[in-house]
Amino acid sequence: MLKPKPRVAFFEFTDCEGCQLQVANLGEALLELTKLVDIVNFREIMSEDGQEYEVLIVEGSVASKHDEERLKKIAAKAKVIVALGACATIGGVNNLKNLKSLDEQKKAVYGSVDPVPDAIATKPIDEVVKVDYYIHGCPIYGPEFVKVMECILLGKPYHVPNYPVCVECKQNENVCAYDKGLFCLGPITRAGCNSWLPNHGSVCVGCRGLLDNPASDAQKDILEKYGLTVDGILDKFTLYCASSKESAKYGKEFKK
Amino acid sequence: MKTDQASQDLLKTSPYKPMKAKIVRTHKYTDTEKFFRIELDGNKELGHMPGQFVQVSLFGYGEAPISICSSPTQKGTFDLTARRISTGALTPALHKLEAGDTLGIRGPFGTAFPLDKMHGNNILIVAGGLGIVPLRSLIQYILDKRKDFGDVHILLGCRTSKDMLYGDEIASWQKRADIQFNCTVDKGDPDWKGNVGLITSLIPGMSINPKQTYAVVVGPPIMYKFVIVELIKKNIPDNQIVVSLERRMKCGLGKCGHCQIRNVYVCQCGPVFTFEQLREMEGECHEGECYVKA
Amino acid sequence: MQYAVIKKSDLSRWFDSMKEKGKIYGPKKKENSFVFRPIKEFEEMSLEYIPTILPPKKYYFPQKEFLFKFKINPFKTGKAIDTFEEFILFGVHTCDIAGIQCMDVVFNEKPVDPNYLNRKEKMTIIGFECMHYCDEYASCTAVGTHVYKGGYDIMLTDMGEEYALHINSEKGENLVAGKKYISEMNADDKSKLKKASDEKLKRFKNEFSAGSEEVDRAFDKGFFSPVWDDVGKRCVGCTNCTAVCPTCYCFDVVDEVSLNLNDGDRYRVWNYCQMDDFAKVATGEDFRPGRNARQRHRYYRKFKYSVMKFNKYFCTGCGRCTRACMAKINLKETVNALLAERRGQ
Repeated sequence: MLKPKPRVAFFEFTDCEGCQLQVANLGEALLELTKLVDIVNFREIMSEDGQEYEVLIVEGSVASKHDEERLKKIAAKAKVIVALGACATIGGVNNLKNLKSLDEQKKAVYGSVDPVPDAIATKPIDEVVKVDYYIHGCPIYGPEFVKVMECILLGKPYHVPNYPVCVECKQNENVCAYDKGLFCLGPITRAGCNSWLPNHGSVCVGCRGLLDNPASDAQKDILEKYGLTVDGILDKFTLYCASSKESAKYGKEFKK
Repeated sequence: MKTDQASQDLLKTSPYKPMKAKIVRTHKYTDTEKFFRIELDGNKELGHMPGQFVQVSLFGYGEAPISICSSPTQKGTFDLTARRISTGALTPALHKLEAGDTLGIRGPFGTAFPLDKMHGNNILIVAGGLGIVPLRSLIQYILDKRKDFGDVHILLGCRTSKDMLYGDEIASWQKRADIQFNCTVDKGDPDWKGNVGLITSLIPGMSINPKQTYAVVVGPPIMYKFVIVELIKKNIPDNQIVVSLERRMKCGLGKCGHCQIRNVYVCQCGPVFTFEQLREMEGECHEGECYVKA
Repeated sequence: MQYAVIKKSDLSRWFDSMKEKGKIYGPKKKENSFVFRPIKEFEEMSLEYIPTILPPKKYYFPQKEFLFKFKINPFKTGKAIDTFEEFILFGVHTCDIAGIQCMDVVFNEKPVDPNYLNRKEKMTIIGFECMHYCDEYASCTAVGTHVYKGGYDIMLTDMGEEYALHINSEKGENLVAGKKYISEMNADDKSKLKKASDEKLKRFKNEFSAGSEEVDRAFDKGFFSPVWDDVGKRCVGCTNCTAVCPTCYCFDVVDEVSLNLNDGDRYRVWNYCQMDDFAKVATGEDFRPGRNARQRHRYYRKFKYSVMKFNKYFCTGCGRCTRACMAKINLKETVNALLAERRGQ
């Protein structure tokens, strides 16, 4: 157990800060948490800018050499490092940048000027520093954040579920998206969000990343059953799971 | 559904609720293995037999099945030895506990080594790595009731001499004239003067009276088939080769399903099985897969 | 009274009379499916339904079930057994009643499960017999659950203008006692019921290609059949088949700690043998790797192991696993493939 009151700092990299917003919106649970930890740096809710901390919560992915150096520096002071949100845990939507060469992307976005000469291929933060806790999702699921903070305080690991979103979705007794003619990434995406999107009539978009061992061969049968195409599914996959780590989990069928 | 008074009372207690227990002594044998001597609240006896296990509960961290490593002849307390698995929740927290700390215990669960059948027979004990943990219970029991058994031969194998548990006790076993004790390490080092090689290499040279021998084998899952093949070559009958299997025992009550091998709930029908029983589990129990080749 | 009759138009009134006995749960439409939900007004219910997404199991073996409260320091455990309130399951199909009977034998086996048994004692079951197949996925005739065989307090059977009531317990008796609109069955009604039942039996045919003795033999010899490899290749591991099964009872035990980091609750939560980590031990070894072995395990738990242990199929033929399967793994087809292989086809 971390004692006495550990100091917690939030830092952000390439992201939208939406995950920190989820934390800010926790309400009562956040107030309860502040009895157990000192939040010393969290720019969405406070003006202090503490640079001494035990628990470092990093949002966003690494997208430049400068990011890389800065992350190493702030990580060196921390005892516990938490990756917050899809950008930090799996690269998230930022990985779309890597689908084309850096030069091509720069030209498409900035034209002839180059305001980011030190840009690199986007990566999740665990390609730069060792991560102790992962809080997946785009955005993160508030109750899971609280659960992870409890684990940190009790000094125990947090095991991200290695079963699909379908587990939670069925327990919530949602009508299957496939039965409504919709295509859903639930069967191959890690659970832990309490099937947040399907609960509201939407489909899983895979923001928490793929299972360790997704059955991509069998996934093809599903496509056939529901009359979907490999191209269509690849588009869905790549929104969040374009990083090399995630795409390495697809079967051959899905490699172009 | 009408129930009688006895079962009415039964329905007021939960088999999931652990008993309170206190740690009275600890000892760190290696970087990852720690020994705990435990006393149940109110000085109750656990009432176990060698081979059984308990569920250790640390509230907030969960529960884990751990073999009992002391003999029931030891009264008032029982012993556990737990490996710290850094990716897990329970064992790292357990390793932080010291004498005076409390924890929860459910059990004892599972089957014991078949002592009634083993009585009067020669005993060959084959312990690989952590397999010595449940076997310590059996060895202590046999040594306390030495005259009930025939020849006793213990084979112990470890990766290196530094991984060896219960060094003090092993030294005393080695000195005893009424048992034979052989030890081997997979990898030698300058301080090690004993055997180097796999535990299976110790068996071919032994002279064994197969009809009157019970062989008890406990070790890592991969070890079983290699040892069992050697025992079969010595003509020890299938029902006299005894093993203890590792599975994910969660409830201990034969319900939760995690430890199931085919139709067998290891937490109730095991963890102690004979090789004869392992044969029945063909296809779901790789520890017993040697007979195909034998 | 063992058999009684109620006019269809009086059913709503009878339903209203039950409200004081406890909360009522019944089948209700949800989008293009059905679910069991608390029912306030009779009209909310859809009594003609295909099996609900989840079986009524969630009311007697909930997804997440409280076991006991604890304190970390100093070590303390709270009262372990909750007291439950009376409740009524209304409109339960015979297949789901068979599911309840399966759970009964599991949780009555020593050591008995007080959580389940205490809940079960508070439960009243009003069954509703299917006169037609719900859809092509059901295989209730093959496992003999298409007709009622106990396990309920009252069973309703459609006879056209009226429902026949089979009253099967004291609890059931109390629900009809003193109701002027419920009358004891006369000879006329009896022949009507017989006619309705006879016609029903003509519609229900064994969905498997052989009888139960052959099925037993097929599972006896089929453990190493290529059927499992085929099923395993198609399985996507979504776990839906086990999640919706009325007789799956595997679980995990989890602790939840409150934000004072000292008080908490221990729960048991549904867990499935189709999960990747189900048989994995702490040191990392997976003792049932492969979706083929996992699917085989699921089928054997329904058709073989339960027969060995309880002399009972744990498949109720409800068809939920087939409906919920993303990969079109069909229980009838799997069993028939195994049977065909036995016959050397």
